[in-house]
Amino acid sequence: MRKSGVALALALSLATSACVQTRQYADVQFTPPKGDYRLLVLRPDVSVGSLTTGGLVENRADWTEQARANIIAALRAQQAGRGGKVQILERRNQLAGASEQEVADFERLFYAVGESIVIHKYLGDYLPTKRRQGLDWTLGEDAVQLGRKSGYDYALFMHAEDQVASGGRIALGILGLAGCAVGFCAPNIGGATQLDYAGLVDLRTGEVVWFNVVRAGSEIPGIKFGDLRTPEGSAQMVERLLGRMKPGREVRRAQEAPKS
Amino acid sequence: MCRCCPGLNRRSLLAGGAAAAAALTTGRAEARILPKDMVPLIGPGFRPVDKDEQGIWQLMDRAEEEIAGSNLLITDPRLTLYLKEIIGRVGGPAAKDFRIYLAHIPDFNAMMFPTGFAVVFSGLLLRMRNEAQLAGVIAHESGHFLRRHQIRSWRDQRRKTDIFSIAAMAAGVGGAGAGVYLGDYVQLAQLGTLLSLFQYSREMEAEADAMGARLIAEAGYEPTEMSAIWQQLIGEETASARYRRKHRRRGSLFDTHPSEPARMADLKIDAEEVRQTGHTYEVGKERYLATIAGIRPTLLDDQVKLNDPGASQYLIETLAQDGWNGLLRYYEGEVWRLRNRRGDDVRAGQSYAAAVGYPDAPADAWRWHGISLMKAGRGAEAKSAFARYLTMKPDAADAAWVRQMIG
Repeated sequence: MRKSGVALALALSLATSACVQTRQYADVQFTPPKGDYRLLVLRPDVSVGSLTTGGLVENRADWTEQARANIIAALRAQQAGRGGKVQILERRNQLAGASEQEVADFERLFYAVGESIVIHKYLGDYLPTKRRQGLDWTLGEDAVQLGRKSGYDYALFMHAEDQVASGGRIALGILGLAGCAVGFCAPNIGGATQLDYAGLVDLRTGEVVWFNVVRAGSEIPGIKFGDLRTPEGSAQMVERLLGRMKPGREVRRAQEAPKS
Repeated sequence: MCRCCPGLNRRSLLAGGAAAAAALTTGRAEARILPKDMVPLIGPGFRPVDKDEQGIWQLMDRAEEEIAGSNLLITDPRLTLYLKEIIGRVGGPAAKDFRIYLAHIPDFNAMMFPTGFAVVFSGLLLRMRNEAQLAGVIAHESGHFLRRHQIRSWRDQRRKTDIFSIAAMAAGVGGAGAGVYLGDYVQLAQLGTLLSLFQYSREMEAEADAMGARLIAEAGYEPTEMSAIWQQLIGEETASARYRRKHRRRGSLFDTHPSEPARMADLKIDAEEVRQTGHTYEVGKERYLATIAGIRPTLLDDQVKLNDPGASQYLIETLAQDGWNGLLRYYEGEVWRLRNRRGDDVRAGQSYAAAVGYPDAPADAWRWHGISLMKAGRGAEAKSAFARYLTMKPDAADAAWVRQMIG
């Protein structure tokens, strides 16, 4: 419920132009993990549905399974190039050292905190005391304990949802476009939409050190932005979401300082 | 199913608008759904085969995983087993497939999810008077599953929004081509679509009521108990509204459920229809009260803290129709103490005094009885009440304070 709340809020805030947007935030001290690190990826929360003619989203089990498999494969391929040790959970009971319930609680806590990040960093409800402080959220001691028990340095959460415009939706868009000829122009009824977000938690401190949201959408049905059902589309999404992890502000400054 | 797309001509829209207007003034004009027509649409071990339904099931399996592991659940094995047995008795052909969870939420509610798991709120256990009533609510929820309501509602919603979108676009493009503005009609059609979705939802609820009446009668429960639930709920809401100087909410066209009086009336007739001569129907009051006895203090405690004295008082008085006891008198006192208006302390004190007269009075009744006596200047009696409290609850968090009061 909570996750869909975040998703809905983000979807509604999608800018009116047809485009791909990403915006990431990081802890001011954040350095993207490199070299010898151990990363735990929690079960990616994926859903792929069809956008009906009337604009409802109909979840599709087969597409979702396919997309989840593609995303996991793309994640493995991407992380392989970074040198860290990675485990991707496909079920909550797969983590050695922590019970299924502990993993579930950890996931719920992250999505509750994630909702707060989305509200205060992405939806305009900025906190005046947190201005220019990067990302300043934590999952607290529970996250540290989970890290200690399982032996991981970082935990990555991922949410991806994709809506594929149905034939009827595309036809409706074409009709709207055709209407322009007679003076009733409605080409922008909304088509395929993709919303992905990810958060990285440092399990040594419990802090959420990095957060990124990718929104891709087209107001004209029929235009695609990388379909999660295909391996290429998933790889593109994983690259957009996780490929360019930027260090935090203070770290960036320190890196830039010697040059100037 | 032979409803094709309504053509977007002026006459049909006006007719639709007129029908909507007529419905607004005449209120509920839907025909009663007969229990005998309510045959289960699925058998045991149902699995979805259509793509749309499989998609819903996938989402719902995730939802169930979250609910099953939620810390809001009451996992007392006696209660959960009891609920499981009841749904096993009134669940029709799917009886063995259902899962049922008890959530600690002090509201009158229960719900069925499309994959066949139900969630019952603890507030329901407070309000039910016997096993037949609880079985009636659970049978209603089973009815949603057996009649495939969720997927039917989804398909209805999808079809109507599709039709509306196509019609609205056609009106825009066609109207522009013909040089007329049809925007007002599109808005009317939008209202019509919306109202029709709510109407469909009410129809599903009426089906579940009729199916529920049939299921409990078949399982040997007294079918008239279902309408008694609504009678009591109307009483509770009226009392709550009166206390707040408001009127009880009446039904509207935007309701997802039929109005409570309508449900009560239909269920009364249903009960007569499903009852068979020569059969005996049980109410199961003793079994019900014995099973929930352990959780009743929690249920009452949740209720009195909702800050709804009208409803709380009504509920306590209703439950006391089965006989007053120390627990009910104590919580009656709590309703007034927490309201805390002029004179309420005296009223609460009377309830605490009555409560301690019963052998089952909780320790806290003695504590508050002592405090009321103290306030009334009856120190000696107060001290003996406090002493009683300490014997019953020697490890109370406030034991030191109470000991000091005894002096």
